[in-house]
Amino acid sequence: MKRLAGWMLSSPATLAVSLFLIIPVAATISATFTSPEGIFAPYNEFFSSGFQRAVLWRTFEVAAITTVISLVFGLLTAYVVSRCSPWMKSILIILAVFPLLTGVVVRSFAWLIILGRNGILNNSLEWLGVIERPMALLYTQTSVVVAMVYIFVPLMVLVLVGVLENIPDDLIDAASSLGASPTKTFIQIVLPLAVPGLIVGAVLVFTASFTSYATPHLLGGTRQMMMGTFLHQRAMVSFDWVSASTVAAIMVVVIVATVLVMTRIARRLNPMAS
Amino acid sequence: MNKRLSLRLATVSAAAMLAASPAMAQSGTFTVSWWGFNGDALQEIIIDPFQEMCDCEVIFETGNNSDRLSRLQLRGGDGVDVIYLTDRFSQLGIELDLFQPIDRALVPNIEQIYDLAQAPQGEFGPAYSIGRVGIVYNTEEVAEPITSWGDLWREDLASQISLPGITTTAGPMVVLQAAERAGVDAYADPDAAFAEVSGLVPNIVTNYNTGSEMINLFSTGEITVSMAQDFALGRLQAAVPSVVWAELDDGAIATLNTINIPTGSENVELAHMFLNFVLSVEIQQELAERGVDAPVNSGVSLTEEQAAPWTYGDEMIAGLQRVDYVPMNAALDDWINRWNEVFGM
Repeated sequence: MKRLAGWMLSSPATLAVSLFLIIPVAATISATFTSPEGIFAPYNEFFSSGFQRAVLWRTFEVAAITTVISLVFGLLTAYVVSRCSPWMKSILIILAVFPLLTGVVVRSFAWLIILGRNGILNNSLEWLGVIERPMALLYTQTSVVVAMVYIFVPLMVLVLVGVLENIPDDLIDAASSLGASPTKTFIQIVLPLAVPGLIVGAVLVFTASFTSYATPHLLGGTRQMMMGTFLHQRAMVSFDWVSASTVAAIMVVVIVATVLVMTRIARRLNPMAS
Repeated sequence: MNKRLSLRLATVSAAAMLAASPAMAQSGTFTVSWWGFNGDALQEIIIDPFQEMCDCEVIFETGNNSDRLSRLQLRGGDGVDVIYLTDRFSQLGIELDLFQPIDRALVPNIEQIYDLAQAPQGEFGPAYSIGRVGIVYNTEEVAEPITSWGDLWREDLASQISLPGITTTAGPMVVLQAAERAGVDAYADPDAAFAEVSGLVPNIVTNYNTGSEMINLFSTGEITVSMAQDFALGRLQAAVPSVVWAELDDGAIATLNTINIPTGSENVELAHMFLNFVLSVEIQQELAERGVDAPVNSGVSLTEEQAAPWTYGDEMIAGLQRVDYVPMNAALDDWINRWNEVFGM
């Protein structure tokens, strides 16, 4: 009876996931194998194009760099927050995740204002005499990474605060009493225990940045095309749905492969992580 | 008890899922697909009076040409009663069998518009506005005036220019101008044409996909030169008064903005009424005077000041370069790939 109740309660969600996730993704990927030129023809075409390989590599590079930087900033921030008193912790968490209250497009636009030729950064550097003429900071890979780190660090902080809070203070006190420096304690005690949270955060940030559209579109422009913007071009401009589905399928494969690699690394760092 | 509770919970779950289903479409609506640029003025000049005429509610679908046309294609021509597109994209829509022929007996105002606007693409929609693609530049930042398309390749314009993306109306015209400069036919010798396009790379900051994006690039100082359509000139000069339309020795390029009726339109008679309304001399006059669209109705009379930003007058129209979009659309997939390699690697 309990099992039946469980099935009935979970069936709407299962149906929703099947209808709106599994079936559309399967349909998208299966469409790539129906080309009259051969079962793998769309993939051959993708990987034989220097431009498309460059787009894939650029997307992976940006996502990887964003993930690593977000991990570092997120971990340090979350560690400080987790060691604060409860009321200070609440304030710091609100400040850290405040940007999440606005949309990605708005947050990306903010960086247009900061990094523009007449933007805050250039004006400040000119005023300080560091530069004589404004620098071209926008529409580069750097501007995309900067904006993505800004957008995804709050997510990393949210994930890691919970994990770091669960590390017993006794362990840290014990390490300290045995002569370990704060740095050694952090590296040898805190970091391994934080690995499960690091992996979850890394997966979320990598996936979100790899599939990002708005930020590369606004801050990278057409000269820094990434997989998300390229997919849009193939689907909505060229009306080439097979090519767009191929891009989507490759994105799924890369993300799954990367997540599997991250999981293996996590298991080596902390055998209890999964 | 457990059985009853289980059933109640399951019913609640199912009801929650059904509640997420999309709302039914309202009846008595007339759907217009257009760019959304100058939306406030269009609401006041066209939509509000038309709603009174048709006793219907007008709703919009907005976006650039390619987004709206691809959405129409995905819906199989349904969902929209009239669609505004530039002639390059309306040609594409015709090739995709998305539009129905116009019954010109229901659009008597067609007789009042310029000959080239009446049937630019055969039995399909007329043009409601004529525009130009040319070069705009900021006179405060660009010392030497721009007087020809070839000036885009000038070395003093390094990292100063934004071009329209290849997927926009004006984008492929960059390729045509590059081919002209290289002395080749862009369709017969795309290698040479794109070799010339690659000469522009040092001058390009980024390419833009919408008129408002181009205006933002000018107003934030990211660019000082661009290739643009004249519909954006008014808003551009409002944002950056020192921007001017370059007087090009080799002439600007004509574009026609068309209105078509999709095959799936649910209000075909209203669509024809809308078309006739937009082509009327009163609406065309007001649109021109208010800086929204250049007129095609020959009954429109503008002062020299009012006509200044527009493609207006027999002499100007006769001096424009015309583009055949049939070969252009056929070549476009290849051009998109080449463009991506030039600017995206």
